[in-house]
Amino acid sequence: MALEDFAAEMDRCSQCSYCKWIPFDQVKSWRFAKNCPSIAYHNFNSYSARGRYAVARSLIKGQSGYSDTVRKIVFTCMTCGSCDVSCKVCRYNLEPLEMARELKFRLVEDGQGLDEHQAIIESLNKEHNTLGRPRAERGAWADDLDVPRLYADKAEVLFHAGCRFSYDRELQGVARTAVRLLKQAGVDVGIMGQREMCCGGRVYSMGYRETFTRFAQANLKAWDRAGVKTVVTSCADGYHAFKRLYPKLGSQVEVLHTVEFIARLIKEGQLTFRTAVPLTVTYHDPCHLGRQGEPYVPWEGVEKKIKNQIVVYEPRRPRYNGAWGVYDPPRDILRSIPGVELVEMERIREYSWCCGAGGGVREAYPEFSRWTAGERIEEARATGAEALVSACPWCERNFKDAVKALGDSLQVYDIVELVQKAM
Amino acid sequence: MEEKRAQLVDIVGEAGVIDHPDVGESFSLDHELIPPLKPCFLVRPQNVDQVQKIVLWANETQTPLVPMSSGAPHFRGDTAPTAPEAVIVDLSGMRRILKINRRHRLALIEPGVTYTQLQPALQEEGLRIIMPLLPRANKSVIASLLEREPVMSPRYQWNLLEPLRSLEIVWGNGDKLWSGGGVFRGEREEEWRMGLVPLVGPGPGQLDFYKFVSAAQGSMGIVTWASVKCEVFPECRKLFLVPAEKLEDLIDFTYQLLRFRFGDELFIVNNACLAYILGTEPAEIVALKDTLPAWVVVVSITGGHIFPEERVAAQEDDIRDIAQRFGLKLMPAVPGCRGSDLLNLLLQPSSEPYWKLRYKGGSQEIFFLTTLDKTPSFVATMHTTANEQRYPVPDIGVYLQPVHQGVGCHCEFILPFDRQNRAEMDRTRELFREASFRLFRQGAFFSRPYGIWAHMVYNADAQTTMVTRKIKDIFDPNHVMNPGKLCF
Amino acid sequence: MTLARNVYKALEDIVGPENISDDPAVLDSYRYSLAHTAIHIGPYYDTFTPRGEAVLLPGSTEEVQAIVKLCNKYKIKFKASSTFWSAQGYPSGENTIQLDMRRMDRILEIDEKNMFAVIEPGVIGATLQAEAMKLGLNTHLPGSGCSCSILAGATSYFGSGPSNLYGGWHYDNLLALEWVMPTGEILRTGSLGAGCGWFCGEGPGPSMKGVARGFLGAKGAMGVFTKCAIKLFAWPGPQTLPVEGTIPAYRVSLPDNFKAYTVAFPSWRAWADAAHMIWDAGIGYLAHRQFNMFGRDLKFAMIKILTDPTKTLGDLEELLEDPEVQKVTQESMRDFQIVLAGMTRRDMAWQEKVLDEILRRTGGWKVEAMNEPEIHDWALLYLIRLGHKNLNLVYAGGYDGCFGFLGAPDYGTTYVEEAAEFKREWEKRGAIVEAGGDCMMGPIGGQGGGGTCLWENFTCFDPHDKDSVEGTLEFFDACTELGLKRGWGVGMEKWNAAARGPDGRTPPKEERDRIHLAAPQPSVFRYQHRVKEALNPNDLGDAYYETLED
Repeated sequence: MALEDFAAEMDRCSQCSYCKWIPFDQVKSWRFAKNCPSIAYHNFNSYSARGRYAVARSLIKGQSGYSDTVRKIVFTCMTCGSCDVSCKVCRYNLEPLEMARELKFRLVEDGQGLDEHQAIIESLNKEHNTLGRPRAERGAWADDLDVPRLYADKAEVLFHAGCRFSYDRELQGVARTAVRLLKQAGVDVGIMGQREMCCGGRVYSMGYRETFTRFAQANLKAWDRAGVKTVVTSCADGYHAFKRLYPKLGSQVEVLHTVEFIARLIKEGQLTFRTAVPLTVTYHDPCHLGRQGEPYVPWEGVEKKIKNQIVVYEPRRPRYNGAWGVYDPPRDILRSIPGVELVEMERIREYSWCCGAGGGVREAYPEFSRWTAGERIEEARATGAEALVSACPWCERNFKDAVKALGDSLQVYDIVELVQKAM
Repeated sequence: MEEKRAQLVDIVGEAGVIDHPDVGESFSLDHELIPPLKPCFLVRPQNVDQVQKIVLWANETQTPLVPMSSGAPHFRGDTAPTAPEAVIVDLSGMRRILKINRRHRLALIEPGVTYTQLQPALQEEGLRIIMPLLPRANKSVIASLLEREPVMSPRYQWNLLEPLRSLEIVWGNGDKLWSGGGVFRGEREEEWRMGLVPLVGPGPGQLDFYKFVSAAQGSMGIVTWASVKCEVFPECRKLFLVPAEKLEDLIDFTYQLLRFRFGDELFIVNNACLAYILGTEPAEIVALKDTLPAWVVVVSITGGHIFPEERVAAQEDDIRDIAQRFGLKLMPAVPGCRGSDLLNLLLQPSSEPYWKLRYKGGSQEIFFLTTLDKTPSFVATMHTTANEQRYPVPDIGVYLQPVHQGVGCHCEFILPFDRQNRAEMDRTRELFREASFRLFRQGAFFSRPYGIWAHMVYNADAQTTMVTRKIKDIFDPNHVMNPGKLCF
Repeated sequence: MTLARNVYKALEDIVGPENISDDPAVLDSYRYSLAHTAIHIGPYYDTFTPRGEAVLLPGSTEEVQAIVKLCNKYKIKFKASSTFWSAQGYPSGENTIQLDMRRMDRILEIDEKNMFAVIEPGVIGATLQAEAMKLGLNTHLPGSGCSCSILAGATSYFGSGPSNLYGGWHYDNLLALEWVMPTGEILRTGSLGAGCGWFCGEGPGPSMKGVARGFLGAKGAMGVFTKCAIKLFAWPGPQTLPVEGTIPAYRVSLPDNFKAYTVAFPSWRAWADAAHMIWDAGIGYLAHRQFNMFGRDLKFAMIKILTDPTKTLGDLEELLEDPEVQKVTQESMRDFQIVLAGMTRRDMAWQEKVLDEILRRTGGWKVEAMNEPEIHDWALLYLIRLGHKNLNLVYAGGYDGCFGFLGAPDYGTTYVEEAAEFKREWEKRGAIVEAGGDCMMGPIGGQGGGGTCLWENFTCFDPHDKDSVEGTLEFFDACTELGLKRGWGVGMEKWNAAARGPDGRTPPKEERDRIHLAAPQPSVFRYQHRVKEALNPNDLGDAYYETLED
């Protein structure tokens, strides 16, 4: 796709501003009714999906050119997809999230990327991770784990730790627990260890399509060599990349997030909890596991019109609107942990508020990113919860940093950490 | 002067011009604070063309015009000229009911039409108009609505001007304009069948023309007909009383009824006010004041059109339950007052003498808008001030009328006084003046600023005054319409 | 970047650098496509409203006032908009700065007892409703839906919507307001100006609220409304809507004192009779001919799609072949939706009984397929929250209403079939969606308590398709011609033609004068001209405030 391929959508976007709010049916208060951090923080129309359609149109028509403001408009999109969900409450022929990504691709292709992102790309090219850390240290998180390394061995199931878990010492216990759980369940699981490479998902959301493709292809090749049939990950970004982006490049591996796997174990009676965890928690749906975690459905087709002017697709096009994301498994897990009381925030599931770490915003606009996390922390606080639980290391890291910056006492957990406490 | 007279005779005929008219006895104590001037003539136009000619003539001759539609006695001084050589434009002769339409629940009336005249005519068609509390028998319906006199049934008041809808207005510059949907005046029966009728009040366009003649005391123009929205005549109707010793005890209950839009006529009165309504002569009033409960919510329940009895029964049960929740009782009668008797009184204009005059022959009103929750504090202020002015507190009638579906509340104090007793008049006038200022400072909104109230409110709001004057300059550039009133 | 730097700097000093922009790309996100929706002009292909000189995000009344005063000093036009729903909120010519009011979005107060809220321009219907419901109250939502600014609808446009019937039209619900007038002076109407609170908008004496708006508002052409009080009404339901279901088929199951019915009638006369009986009896919480906006032939198939999260528009044709869908479509030809809400159990029982009796007397019926729990609960949520209004544009992204019979139900029902047949013939030409001719929708009760209806015949088209846009324009021109020929007047398809022309800008004076002189009372526009001269002496608004010079 090219930006010009969205020209029809640019014309058909009705500028209704639904993209600025959670689905209206779900609005429960004035305080937590907004969905898109970008427009909520920057306020100019341009920072919403409708505004980005307009900016994109202006650019491709040559009515405006690149500027610092345009770069900011484009790269403060977290690609969280909340606009996409709200738009599609009513619309069946617009793809605002895809357009926002395409806009980023265009800017990057035109050399308009951000320096902060460029540094990440350089790290990726050199060290195969987005965190600027040495490639050689990538497998250290699993040094004490007795699992096959799939660059040498073979296994049907690969646990992919991802950049954040691989290098973030505070968080990486989650990955270790996940692997142990897989092993305990008798799964033939392995890891890539120090040869694991970034999934590419995060740079994709920053606009680096080509880099993403390169990494995706390398990963697919490595998996193929190792005979991997299933990839399990505890990272929502990785999950999304593998589940939704890789199939377009030919991937046929099954993709599971740890929460799906654990929920399955609980349901099948293979995992029971013995220790009570007396904690009131609220669950944050990571964008890439929740609304963007819907299964990929292959489609190739064209637009056509029925009844003169109704825009449909031949054959019927799959619809990604957050309806079928991964929402219940994490909640099932939390409900099955003795002592844990789950209280919901106002914005949940497909209309969840982003943690603020997505789309390269954490790296390029740290203050905005922290504000976004702070908004969620306040929402979590409003439930009376003692802890904010998520299922993505990027969310967790952003929340932890924001909690610290705010001087708040809210606890932040990955759901696997609670599972571990309860075992 | 003779020339002016001849010109007026040309317009309305000899019989339509009265020299040195007696405009009736005025009951406004305000007049001692703002003395009225004697008019030169009173003219009685019969149609809009004559009205238009009179206004154009006034512009040419720089003659002040004072429109008047209701009969005497006049209370508020708005029809008393405050400019010299004024001509009273008496519209009471324009008293045709132009149309009553059941399907659209609409009546078209001229300014001289009174409630006494309109209500029975409507009833014949299965309709009624919501009324103010016991208007004078000769009170013009249009004048009452233009004055924004509160009506007893707040639930039908979608805005403060209801049930007033479209108007035909002759502005102070002589232009005629149909406001709201007045351009559809339904001159042909076919138009009524088609639904091309003056149902809409606001506009037309981006100005709200009827708001400019509302509460304008005749200072903007003259209304020559109006459409008024009517309600279905209730086949079934009951009136109940909910008594309490303290006003505060009735407030939340009344709010609950307003919230649910339960009840039709719905207001609160104190014993004095209710005694003035019920009593026919002073001794009876004195006795009633002693007998009646200190405060009463008056609530009627009506049902019409479809399953009226069931409606009334259901609402009666509901209101009884609500009253119980607030520790109150819904009663068909209280000592001194049977609901059915009161209902009969409320459905008619006041009998003679006018109910506010029955106790002492004279009466001064203080009224303003506020919210219901604030009324007890205003009552307290009124009582304190009365004590200070040596006015008998038990004589103060209090009438609290929720308006605009309960968003606001008309708060009225009725101060009877003996017009033969100079000292009492002086005391009452001083109380009126002092209480008006105190209540104003306390947050009473004198939205219809008669007499001395006008100085009070306009001096306190420079922007409103400035804009109001600019609007006046547009519609009455030569200031011929009732000069000296409001901020003009 | 034509705004002089010193002026830009002065504006920047008022709002701060983060709240002003003149970047061309930002400015282009503040332009409106005239190939679109509810603009009541056009549509015009590939045409946009003119680019503003700068966009500002004021944060307070004081900032707005300072901006307006500066505009007077430098003779710069300004146009404020809160939620930018249609072309009316956008500039009509050069030398205009735009005020985006979204930062002023506070609900300052909800007076629970006296049932009103005090709000700023950025407060949308959904948030006000959600907060009101916590207190057992509700707000009327204009027909543009809950995404739109409540203040804007109440002060500056029309404010009519499905809940007029019980909730009151926002013309009626608008209480006191704070208005930065075109000169920069601040007018506070009614009780507010007198320092007595927000509960009353009228007076003292003749009401200057009548300058702020009439039947319609000034559409942003006469200053900026910065706060207003809006009347609320009872919400006899839960404090939060217990929404269930999978997106987009959200639905709400409310207690038994709520019901959403689709009622239909054997004739248009019966339809109108029922409307009158509903008003006379005083039942109903909300009444609207809502789902017919999809078109008489398509509406039930569309409802099947919208209530099933696995379906898309791609299922439409197949659904239209379904005999069950066809049966319901036939059955609900002359329909409307009504929501009953009982304040008590007895109240609800009585209302239910009355509705049944009205149906008996008129020969009408409840469309049973709409009572299926999942459809009923979806429709109930749709009507109460009005959060799916963008379905107006579901087919291809373009719609506008034509004809627009405003008046008593007898008026609209007399002509509905003729207008529908006219549209049906045009649908055959291909430019507009073929939906059955009758796509008329609008409130049963154009104002509080009823009395009037508004019949807007939805016309859907593809704004990306030149032939579709131009064919739609041709159809709208034909509608206007028919309206004039038949004595219906110019339909809503041209309601804003005096304010904006085919190039997106203010039409020439001659054209505006021609339109205003053809109105039933041209003097209305003359008075508006005089008011503009008095209150907007530097003429800093646009032609949306319609004037005719003497």
